[in-house]
This record gives sequence, C-alpha cells and structure tokens, in this order.
Amino acid sequence: MSTAAPTVHPLDTAVKVARLHLLDRVAYLLAPAAGLLFAFTVDAIIVGMLPSGDRGDHSVGGLAAICVVAFVIGLQSITKGLSFGLSLGLSRRGYYLGTALLAITFAAVSGAILTVLRAVEGATGGWGLSMRMFRLPYILDGSWYEAWLTSFVVLTLLYVYGCWWGLVYRRWTLIGMIAFAAGQVTVVLAGALAATWTHSWSDVGHFFTTLSAVGLTGVLAAVTVALMAGGFTTLRRVTI
Amino acid sequence: MTPTIAVSGLTRRYRGHVALDDVTVDFEDATITGLLGRNGAGKTTFLRILAAQEFPSAGDVRVLGASPIENDAVLRRMVLIREDQSYPDIRVGHVLRAASWFYPNWSGELAATLLRAFDLPAGRPVKKLSRGMRSAVGIVVGLAARAEVTLFDEPYAGLDAVARQIFYDQLIADYAEHPRTVLLSTHLIDEVAGLLERVVMIDRGRVVLDADADTVRGATTAVSGAVPAVDTFAAGRPVWDRRTLASHASVVVGSPLTDGDRAWARELNLTLTPLSLQQAVVHASAGAAGERAEGSHA
Repeated sequence: MSTAAPTVHPLDTAVKVARLHLLDRVAYLLAPAAGLLFAFTVDAIIVGMLPSGDRGDHSVGGLAAICVVAFVIGLQSITKGLSFGLSLGLSRRGYYLGTALLAITFAAVSGAILTVLRAVEGATGGWGLSMRMFRLPYILDGSWYEAWLTSFVVLTLLYVYGCWWGLVYRRWTLIGMIAFAAGQVTVVLAGALAATWTHSWSDVGHFFTTLSAVGLTGVLAAVTVALMAGGFTTLRRVTI
Repeated sequence: MTPTIAVSGLTRRYRGHVALDDVTVDFEDATITGLLGRNGAGKTTFLRILAAQEFPSAGDVRVLGASPIENDAVLRRMVLIREDQSYPDIRVGHVLRAASWFYPNWSGELAATLLRAFDLPAGRPVKKLSRGMRSAVGIVVGLAARAEVTLFDEPYAGLDAVARQIFYDQLIADYAEHPRTVLLSTHLIDEVAGLLERVVMIDRGRVVLDADADTVRGATTAVSGAVPAVDTFAAGRPVWDRRTLASHASVVVGSPLTDGDRAWARELNLTLTPLSLQQAVVHASAGAAGERAEGSHA
C-alpha cells in the first residue's frame, strides 16, 4: 500500500491533540468544577462561623483549589497521555504544541469563568458574607480584564509547570524529580547569592513592592514561556 | 527501489548492556515478517526505535525514505502496537475515535467489525478491561489504522486462543486487500508460521537469522540413525544440535539438502525429519550463538 505522504498541518494536529486530552471529561470538566465548588463551600462555612462583630471583608484562599487542579491535569497530560499520544503517530513536537494549546484554552476559559464569578461576588456583597474569594486583594482587584489576564497567566503557568514535572518523571522517575526540585532550589539560591554579592537586595525589594498586579502578571508570563521551553526541551529527550 | 525500512549499523547501548548491537536489516514493502527472539533479545527496543519512541546510540534508521525522529509525515504512516501500551482514563470508543483523527488510512468500518469480533464494549473505560481485552483494543487500532508500516510487538498478551486466531485471520484478510509492511514480533512462532513470509531472528541484540520462512523450514533437518552413519553424513555441514543415545545419534543439520543428499541418507539408513518453523528457529539461534561463542574463543 502506498499513499502519498500526508500533509500534516501543525495547527490541525494541535487541535486534535487538545481534543484527545479533552476526551477525559473528568479531568477537564468535573475536577475543576468540583474543586472550586468544594473550596467555595468550605470557605463560606468558615466565613459564616466568624463572630458577627468581625467587620470588613474576609479574604479566603479557595482559588488555590483550581490552581492545584491546573497543575495536576498538566502533570497527567504527560504521565497518562504521552505514551498513548505518541503511539498514535504524533511527533513529540506535535504532542507538546497540542498540549500547550489546550493549557492556554483551559486557562482562558477558566479565567473567564473566574472573572464572571468575581463580578457576581462583587454584586452580591461577597455572597452576602463579605467574602473575597474571587476578588483577592492586590492580585485580582483591578479591572475585569486585568483579573482575567492574571488568572489566565497563572493557570497556564501551573499547567505547563505540571507538564514539565510529568516529563521529568517519565524520563528520569524519582531520582529525576529530586534532581529537578534541587535544580530549582539551586536557581533560587543562586539568585539570592547574586543579590547579596551585588548588594542589590534593596533593589529587589523595591522591584516587588512597586510591582503592580499587571506587572507581576508580565513577570509570570515570562516565567511561563521559560517553563514551556524547558518542558519542550525535556520532551525531545523523553522515550516511551 | 528503496526499502520501506532501512536499518544500518543500529546500536543501542544502555548502562551496562547492549540492547542492539550493529543491526543492519532492510524490510521491503508488502511483506509480513516475523521478528523472533527470546525475551530480552532486543525486539521491543528495535521496534521502538523504528517508531522513534526510543533513540539509537549509533547507526541509521530510515522509514519510508526518511528518519522517523520528529517526522510527522513518516510517523502518521506508521503504527506500533505494544504489549505494554498504557492509555489515559478514557473509554474503548474514545481510543478508536482518537486513532481515527490521526491515521490517514483509518477504516472505521474495519474497526467496527473488529470490535464486534473481539466482543469489546465500546463504552467501557480502558482501565476496567481485562488484560486480554486491552490487548484486543491495541490490535483493533493496529489493523484499522491500515498504516503503511504496521509494527506489532507481541500484541496478544492475555488473549485467549480464539481471539488470537481472530487476530491472525483478520490480519491476513485485511493484508490481502491492503498490502503493507508488517513486522510481527512474537514467540508463538508455530502459531504465526502460516502468516510469515520472512523471519528475522534477534538474539542478544544481533540479527542471527534473516531468511524466507520457507527457506528456514527447508534448511533445517533432523538427521537420525546409527552414530557412524550420522557422523559421515553430517561431516562438513553446520550441525546445530547433537544427541546420542547408545549407538543412535540425532543431529540437526542447518543447511539445505539436495536430492543427492537425500538419496545418500537413504543408503546410510538415516531418517530425515523436516523441522517446524519454531524448532528450526530455536536451533538456528542456538547454532548461531554457538558459532559466535566459538568465534570469540578463537
């Protein structure tokens, strides 16, 4: 049997890879919704128990739930999906581009949902409890599009960070994960030492204290791009 | 014409052992080749490198005229079904749907036929399937993909004899209509003997036998009779196995016999028994290993 070499369009492939991941509805629909709902319920109960004399808004950390979900589904997109994906005649590049496209889509849609919930929270006086789950001070209290942008970047970052952990695990297992964690600590330590030696701690402090939420989002976007590059470089060496 | 798969000098070293050692072998279009060898011989590593799932340490691999590594145009025309394939948390029907997106020659009709033949429930999550049923899912993908290069790596773990027969029947039926380059790694040699046109045997990372299946069958003969007669007959021929019981000897001769040889054997009162493909392959690999061992001592 000989057919002409099929022309493979990168975007077409990326969309198919994203659909491949989305076949797992539990991970992409149920887990984020359930995580968010559970965290919201817990937070609402806790805020509801506070003494009534306690005035002012109550900031809660329920959004950590969706952050954890983003990281875990990023991790699973590799640990559970990579072997099957590559068995379907995909190149590593094709698989990674499709997975990154899904990360971006997932973060954009989730960010939009968070932005809507943020508006509802604002309109209902914090769900009638003065609760701030979706309007976190500093990070998410700007305009709606700033809040969406920040949510989008943070969720993309966590997803692709999860991917990278998954890739390191697939390629080098436990020892690799320990080395990967140690490597990251070393990078932070090197930064701290550099700041000490160049006597620039006050500049660092100044940078972060004056950084706006949008500025922080920009820094995180740069980190996201670096994590994607790292993940892709690792994937090129992964065998299954 | 360039071969569909061209491998030269392929070596894969892991820490402490050599999985593939300077393998050079070609596979032409439209043949079914049995890739034979013992556990750990290097068959899976070989197939994984062909499918670019693993990388070579040295050597050159060309599939459909190009390196398969990160080559979408080649990879889409190739399928590797592995014994140990893992799946995400999806259903049987999802697996087939996903495969249909990526393989240009995918036959939904054949997939549906095979699903019925193997009695696979499309709605069941893959992780809830038994070992044999999971193997059947892989076989359905491997056949329905109708990929020009179709690689099966012991695809029938846990499959019962009836299901294995369905696999062989469907493979040969679909191959007849859509010929392609099929490599089937297996150790159930006699079961697939009827399917194979060629056998390539790998032992400890080296190709020790590469021949037409019919030639292998014809080339190995058990010769038995009185010890002096057997020794006279076997002198100068490759002898792969030798057993003696009192004055009776039995050897396996690893070269084809001419009509003259057969007449001579009758004069010497020897019994000639052709070996099955499985026996032939076992002796061929043992013989080749023995020759190598002798060679290394010399």
